Amino acid sequence: MLILLSIFTILTHTPKINIENAWVRPAGKGMNSALYLSIKNNNTTSDILYKVGSDAAELVQMHQTVEKNGMAAMQRVKSVTIPAHKTIEFKPGGYHVMLIELKRDLNAGEKISFTLYFKRAGRIKVQAEVKHT
Amino acid sequence: MICHLIKIIDKEKVHSSIIKKFTPYIFLFIIVLITGCGKKLPEDKPLGFDSVTLLNQDSSNVLFPDMYKNKILLVAFIYTNCPDICPMTTHNMQLLQQEVEKENLKDVQFAELSFDPQRDTPARLKEFGNIRDIDYSNFNFLTGKEIDVKKILNNMNILALPGDTTKTQGGIVYFYTHTDRITLIGQDGKIRNEYRGSKANIQEIIKDIKTLED
Repeated sequence: MLILLSIFTILTHTPKINIENAWVRPAGKGMNSALYLSIKNNNTTSDILYKVGSDAAELVQMHQTVEKNGMAAMQRVKSVTIPAHKTIEFKPGGYHVMLIELKRDLNAGEKISFTLYFKRAGRIKVQAEVKHT
Repeated sequence: MICHLIKIIDKEKVHSSIIKKFTPYIFLFIIVLITGCGKKLPEDKPLGFDSVTLLNQDSSNVLFPDMYKNKILLVAFIYTNCPDICPMTTHNMQLLQQEVEKENLKDVQFAELSFDPQRDTPARLKEFGNIRDIDYSNFNFLTGKEIDVKKILNNMNILALPGDTTKTQGGIVYFYTHTDRITLIGQDGKIRNEYRGSKANIQEIIKDIKTLED
């Protein structure tokens, strides 16, 4: 019984969504920056990231950069689906979480807190390092 | 070279009719080879405008492009409100600056011109540079009067169109759909090559700079 309980505890505490390599670009107060990360869905069903929150900026939105014929444009995305057993990368030149009108300077080496809101997994808190790349 | 080829052909004792048949093609190949070697970089376009006075991050006047005469210039096009593409371009310019120093390449200058002069004042450009630890020794962020900036953009085929907008407490924030580019200008003030700014191949650009130095 104890063994079964232990297995159950381990299984229920295995994170179903893994957030890795979260980082933010340095930028000054009043400017904009972006959060990048990898989201790994270990579930057997897909999940949807529908919101990202942070007190570092006036506004936090998900966007996607699209490049066509040498022109770069951004599109706002309302949500991003993370399929079962897949990883979605938020990376430069692709999906990114935009930090609009920063409330303070983001200097290299600092850590910034974010909350990711998923339809199934709920809230997940993330610490992202400010770094140059 | 032709004699050498003929000697080889003689050695191989190939039938003379074959030589006659292929001689025009050999000449054509040599001409193409010589012409190709002379034009090492793909572009050779004049900028097509008289110099304009811009301001750098310290509010000092920069006569563009006259100030860069007899120097190799890499110029990128950005706006500081850009969260994704322009920081990548700026990072690539930093990597290029470091590589130029490492390779001891002389008289190479770096500039980033803002296509959003209304918001990108010299002070804002300085802030954008400082937070990225830019080495200003041969690197200028440039802004200026809208009419002058437009003149440069039009002549250098850079498009920047205000697009995506977002409301904040402070008002409306707008973003641009824009050309993603770094341009290489030679010592003669002509455009010698163009690259994607955010995805620039550093070694390719360094190779082009070395070609211009030769």
